[in-house]
Formats: sequence, structure tokens, C-alpha cells
Amino acid sequence: MLWVDKYRPKTLDQVMVHQEIAQNLKKLVTEQDCPHLLFYGPSGAGKKTLIMALLRQIFGTSAEKVKVENRNWKVDAGSRTIDLELTTLSSNNHVELTPSDAGFQDRYVVQEIIKEMAKNRPIDTKGKKGYKVLVLNEVDKLSREAQHSLRRTMEKYSASCRLILCCNSSSKVTEAIRSRCLNIRINAPSEEETVKVLEFIGKKENLQLPPGFAARIAEKSNRNLRRAILSFETCRVQQYPFENNQAIPPMDWEEYISEIATDIMKEQSPKRLFQVRGKVYELLINCIPPEIVLKRLLHELLKKLDAELKHEVCHWAAYYEHRMHLGQKAIFHIEAFVAKFMSIYKGFLIATFG
Amino acid sequence: MGKKNTVVISSSDDEDCGRPSRVKRSYEKPKSRSSFASTNPSRAKKPRISGSRSCVSKSLSNVDEIRLAFEDFNEVLNGFKVSSGSGKSNLKELWVDKYKPRSLQELAVHKKKVEEVKTWLEERLKTPKDRFNNCVLIITGQAGVGKSATVHVIASHIGAHLCEWNTPTPTIWQEHVHNSSAGINYTSKLDEFENFVERVRKYGLIWSSFPGERNSSIILVIDDLPVTTGRMAFERLKTCLVLLVRSTQVPTVIFVTDYGNEDSSDNTARWLEELQLSLQSAGASKVAFNPITTNAVKKTLTRICREEQYNVTAEHIDQIAKASGGDIRHAITSLQLSCLKPEQVLNMSLSDSAPSHTKEEANLYDGFSLPYGRDETLTLFHALGKFLHNKREAENVAALDQETFHVQEKFSRLPLKMDAPEKILCQAHGQARPIADFLHENVLDFLSDEAMDDAWSVTSYLSDADVLLASFRGMLARHNEAENILQSAGASVAVRGVLFGNSHPSPSRWHAIRKPKLWQIEQSSSRNQKEMIRRRYYACNISSLPEASVMATEYSPVLKWLGYRASCPKTHDLLMQGTDTQDENYEKMGIDDQESEISDDEIEDW
Repeated sequence: MLWVDKYRPKTLDQVMVHQEIAQNLKKLVTEQDCPHLLFYGPSGAGKKTLIMALLRQIFGTSAEKVKVENRNWKVDAGSRTIDLELTTLSSNNHVELTPSDAGFQDRYVVQEIIKEMAKNRPIDTKGKKGYKVLVLNEVDKLSREAQHSLRRTMEKYSASCRLILCCNSSSKVTEAIRSRCLNIRINAPSEEETVKVLEFIGKKENLQLPPGFAARIAEKSNRNLRRAILSFETCRVQQYPFENNQAIPPMDWEEYISEIATDIMKEQSPKRLFQVRGKVYELLINCIPPEIVLKRLLHELLKKLDAELKHEVCHWAAYYEHRMHLGQKAIFHIEAFVAKFMSIYKGFLIATFG
Repeated sequence: MGKKNTVVISSSDDEDCGRPSRVKRSYEKPKSRSSFASTNPSRAKKPRISGSRSCVSKSLSNVDEIRLAFEDFNEVLNGFKVSSGSGKSNLKELWVDKYKPRSLQELAVHKKKVEEVKTWLEERLKTPKDRFNNCVLIITGQAGVGKSATVHVIASHIGAHLCEWNTPTPTIWQEHVHNSSAGINYTSKLDEFENFVERVRKYGLIWSSFPGERNSSIILVIDDLPVTTGRMAFERLKTCLVLLVRSTQVPTVIFVTDYGNEDSSDNTARWLEELQLSLQSAGASKVAFNPITTNAVKKTLTRICREEQYNVTAEHIDQIAKASGGDIRHAITSLQLSCLKPEQVLNMSLSDSAPSHTKEEANLYDGFSLPYGRDETLTLFHALGKFLHNKREAENVAALDQETFHVQEKFSRLPLKMDAPEKILCQAHGQARPIADFLHENVLDFLSDEAMDDAWSVTSYLSDADVLLASFRGMLARHNEAENILQSAGASVAVRGVLFGNSHPSPSRWHAIRKPKLWQIEQSSSRNQKEMIRRRYYACNISSLPEASVMATEYSPVLKWLGYRASCPKTHDLLMQGTDTQDENYEKMGIDDQESEISDDEIEDW
């Protein structure tokens, strides 16, 4: 088992970061019925950990007995029936799923599942707590229609089920949904907190940590706790005992993107653009989300760029990022950004060096 | 009449003509002989008609005779409305039929081709039958290049009979019901054709259908191959024809019409090609007819004008000839149409002669402004080639004009050497999305190496097009009209963006147009995603659903380092190695799909 999973806090009391939020949540569910919840915050901040601990708080250990299923739904959509296949994770009391995996048919998923859950309402041994919890991941990636249908079903079935929504950016969730939920922002842990967690794990694993090593990992991981722990484990596999100047292995796709950035800086021509496209395809094949590719690419390019170009380049990156959301095929927009960058940079080089 | 509507010109006018040669317009089965000859008052009409056109009737070939016979029939039907006194042609008659070539000189087909066919036929007819092991000639060419006309004229020239197989008319359902209640069994048209070929192969042509002329030579003509739907029917047709080629003793001519411009998704063109190849390998000879040259068309048109005494300007004829695209039948019909309204012709020739030469040339191919002209269809690749190569005039004529709208230097482009992009799109029946994908895949090859700014503007327009194309996928999908507008706007932006952005096209050389790699990428990406999520469950025991993006960016690299790969049910390599094998798989899948599609299509023809 990975350390990330092994040392994931099981209960709200064990939580090391966001302790205050954890206590509040505990109070919330012990005292009364909980409202719909919306957790948002950057990746690796601990949203999922808190949600799982919360479920355990509500339902006890039965919430941990989960099974993974590939479920098929037949949705009757007017004139035709739609077949949907989705992976769900469910226990007796909750169902977790990622509706955005269903692509543009996500709205059917949302409606259908909630309806189904509302139908077979569980009865507790004590005859209380007659509700199920539905955990929806990546709500911000839901299409607008799906969010609308979510809003409606939320109201309709609120007696029998609670929703816990989880997303990175609440700005992409419609106002209507946000107002129906208790919004809980989970901040990224600070570097000190990350270091604390790493040291805790190190102690549990009986590892000798050189001073400053955990801090370096924390710095590298960009305030992403999950990533910090993963890198920590990788370092452990790579070399133990740790050395103070041990290299922390970067993610392979990040290296690949920085390679692309170097390519772009070296030559600006349509031919090179075509090569870059091939490399971006590689990333996309491996399911690296295009937004992350673009963001990372910008990051790498900015590192090497003259200060006076930075503003313009950032502007175009933002422009094409927006386009990407509106559009359908990310590669069109990534490529347009790369082309724009090449064109700017080439002009700059000619102006500076003649 | 039976279920076969074969029209038979029977020998009712044998006596008064007494010409040595005569045409059977259709091959007829004895039992289904249907004859309207009894109602044909040809003897009564004949003298008048031949009298009115006596100069021609001397050289009347058998082809013409048929026409006359039909004319008679028409007249009967029309209640003798045609006054015999009219010197000009009555308009009921199509010029295409009226001016069918009657001699070798009148043929617009290239002399060499005619000669080739003629010598082939003569050799087969004169020498003993067993001298040649191949008795089949395939003539190919697009529609309206005079394939049939050539053979008909040659046959009458060397005095041979033509025996034609004409595909029987399709049986409609009511007819079928009626027939089956009358006890007639249905036979498919392909069966009928097979039976016919079988008979010809075994017994030669049935002489009883040519009473009294046993000594003259016969040429079998198969003009209309039965339509085959599905692979199986086509295979039957092929074997049947190959057998014919191998064993027939009668000189046989098979016409195969090329569908060069047809949609590439249609199987017919491919099958016809396959058919030709297998027939050739079985020993058939082949003559390919090219589209008729503009000059030849013009010559013919001028001749017709002279004979009809219409005054059509040379320019106008030139236009018709060019617009016809080598299809003489079409050209003649266009001519007849434009002669129907003499005043219009006048207007057009006036307006055409006024503007400058270049403008007129631009008008020539503009199918919208002309009342005739074939609407050319283009293949997708042809259209893409036009867009990508981006051919432009050497200098901007319009820019010298004061009236034109002035744009900044950097935005102005030379005029395109093609129709409006939207029109080309329409001709190619292009779907917006694939067009955009194809352009995106290929456009970078066509940019010159230095032109980075161009590359940006092209990719930027493609990105715009993508946004347009994507925006209908949600709500608007229900409203077809809105969707259509968005679709065509998206396609138009993509195409015009590519044309406008590429202001320094690289010197034109041969580029292969690739299939968008994007399609594969999308497929394998979604597959990988599923695989990855699955792997996550097996690799480590978790109690929460991982988000796909987190999986890809954080877990998988780590899992790779930690050597979890070995424990996964199905290893798959990250980055570089992974894609190649997948591509192969997909290609294989693609082929399989196609095959299964074909086999699905196999419906017994009804």
C-alpha cells in the first residue's frame, strides 16, 4: 500500500492539517442532520481525506467497507435510450462517483443515480438516519446542463439523500448549487504543515531524516500534500539512508513538458511546431489533462523568458486556456498558444539580435 | 404485359426499308415478347418523315432508324400533332438523340480510340472464332464520352448486328404483389442477367431472334451492368462475367462507366475497378475513353447549330463546351436548352463580351451564373488539396480597381485561384468537424519554414473554428438549424483561416495528406484512462475514487518508479513506447470494422 493511503487519517480526530475544519465537521454531524456540502480547494489539500473521515464519522466503520463496481445504466431520454457505463464506489450508506467521466452525457448520470438512491432508502437499525450520502467528484467539470439537473434533483430528493460535492474551483460551479450547499474551503497545506506530516510518516516508518530534507520535498511539491508524500516514498525507494543533497525525482510528464519548452525556445518554425504537436499528443495519450499541460508549459517557458515578454505570454496563455474550455479539442488551442509564443519569441529575437 | 417491360422494336418496318443491318434495341426473351408493333403505323408515317429529311435519310444508320420508330410511336401517342411542314426540329425531340453520330467522322471521340475499337471488332468478326482466346472488350470512361455511340457507329459501319443486354426495369412492390397473385415467380435482376450470360456462353446468341439473317455477324453489347448491393451480389456478378470472358464465342463489348468524382465512401467505384481488373486478367481487352476534348465538343456543337440554323456565338459555345467537362451529351442538352430562349443567349453573350478578359474567365467556371454546367462534385481530398495548396493569382487585378474595399497591407491577399471556399465545401459534402481536423493535421506541412506568424494565425483560426464547432454540442443540439449554421460557420472559419493565414505558402510540391492523428489519440487516451483507473484499484487497496487527472499526473509516475507495474494485470508502458503498438491495434481494428461492415451489408438482393 502506498504511504499516501497508509497514513491517510481515518477519523476526523486523527487529521493533522485542517484540524479546525475537522472539528467543526464533527460538531456538525454529531449534533444534527448534515446539509449538502461542497468541498473545494486545490489538489492535494485533503478534501477527499476529510470527506472520507466525515463519512466514517456519520456511518461508523461500515463506510470503509466499499466495493468497486462498473455500473451500467440505461437512461430513457425521450426517443432513445442511452447506455452509460460508470465506475462507482459504494458502501451500504454511500455512493461515490465521478459523473464527468461520462462526458457530455453527465446530466443523465446525475439525475438517474440520485433518483435510484432516493428509491431505496436505507433504514438504520435504530430507525434513524434514513439517508444516503452521494459523493460526487469533479463537480466543476460537469457541464452546465448537468449542473442544472443536479440543482433540481438536489431539492427534490433532499429528504432521502445528502450530497457531498468535491471540486477544485468553486468558480466553475453554478451559483445555484453553491447556495444550496455548505461551502467548505480546504486550503493547500503550508510548507510547515507538509514538513510536519512528512516527519510524522518518517517516524512511523523508522526513517532517519537528514535536517532540511523534508523541507526540500515540501518545497518541490508545491504545497500539494499528496505529492509530497508520494515523492517522499519515491525517494525512499530510490535511496536509503537519505543524503542531504539527494535529488528529488521529478514527475516524468513534467520533465517531458520542460523538454518541449526547450524545443520551443531553440527553434521557432512550423516544422518545430509540428514536432511539438507530436509531443503534446504523447502527453494527452497518457491522460495528462490539457489544462495542466498548458499551465505547466507556460511555467516552464516563463522560467526561460525575458522579463519584458512575460506579460504578453501570460495573456495569451490565459486566452487560449479559456478557449480550451469553450472548445472541444484541446490540441487546437494548445497548439495555437505554442504558435503564438513562437511568433512572439521569434520577433523578439530578431528585434534584439538583428 | 408480363413483368418485363422490355421494349422491343420488332421488325415491322423490314419491308419498306430493306436495309441490311438492323438493331435489336434490347435482348428479348421469346416468352416475354411484348410488341407494340401492331399499333405502330410506321408504314403510314414513314414516307412523310423520310421525305422531310431526305438528305439525311440516305445515310440513316440503324441508330437513326430506331429513333424514327420511336418518333412514330410518339406521334401516334400525341395524336398527330406534329405538323410535317416545320422545317426546324420540333422541340419534343432531344438533340442528343437527333444528332447521334451516324458516321465515323461525326464521332467526337478521338480518332485513335475509335480506330482501336474498330480494328478489334473487325478482327474478331472476320477471322475464325477460335483464333482468339479473348472475345471481350471493356470500354471504360466517364459518362457521356461516347462509349455506346462509338460502338453503335462502328457496328453500322462494318455491318454487324448489335445485340444488347438492357437491364430490365426494377419491379415495384405493387407489381410484385400482382405478379405473385398471378402465379409468376419473382426473379432477381441479377439472376436474370446471370441466366442471360449463361445462355450466351453455352449456346451463343439465339439465332431465332434474327430471322433470315443467319449469315451476318453479331456483336453482343452489355451496356448496363446490373446494380449490385453488397459484397456477395457483386461477387456473383464478377464470377458470372469472368466466366463469360473465358468462354464466350461471340464478340462482346462491356461498357463500364467511371465514377471518378464520386464519393470515396461509395463502394461502387472500387468494385467496378476490381471488376475491370479481374476481367482483364481473365483475358479481356480494355480501351479507356478519355473525356472529350473541348475542341471536339465545340466542333460538334457548331455543327448542330449550323444544322438547326441557330445563331449562337462562338464564345457561347466555348462556354458550354468548357462547362460540360468532357460530357458531350450534357453539352448538347445544354445547347438545346440555351437555344430554347434565344433572347437569353443574346443577353449573356453581350454581358460576357463586355468585361475584361480575366473576369470572363472567372465567370466561366462559376456554375451559379450559367444556366447550364455540371455541378461538379469533389472528393474530400481534392477539396483539402485546394485549401492547403492555397493557389493564388500572381497579381491582384482587383486591387487596381478604385472601387474595391481597401484593407491594410498586411491583411490584403491576392485573389484565390478557386471558387469560394464555401462552394468547394459544399461540393465536397464536407462535414465541418472532419474538415477542421484534416486541416489541422496537414496545414503545417504547407507553410514555409520561416513563416511563424502565419502558423500562428492559422492555428488561431482553427482554434476559433473549434470553439464554434463545440458550442452546439450542448443545448443547441436539439435545434437543427442553429446547429447547421454553426457547423457551416465553423467550417468556413477553419477553411478561410487556413487560406488567409497561409500568406507565404511553401513552394508547392507533393505532400501526402495524412489522416488526423488526433482521432487515434482521442481513442487511445480514453482507453488509457479506463485502464489507469482500473489499475489503481488493483495496484493498491483504496477506499476512495481517484480523479483521473490526479491519477495521471501524480500516481502513475510514482507507481512506475515503485515497480507496481509488474503487479498489474496488464502492463502498459508510459509515454513513448505505448503509442506505437496501440496505433497498430487501432489500425487493425479499423480494418476489422470495415470488413464487418461489408459483411453486414450483404443483403440478398430482392
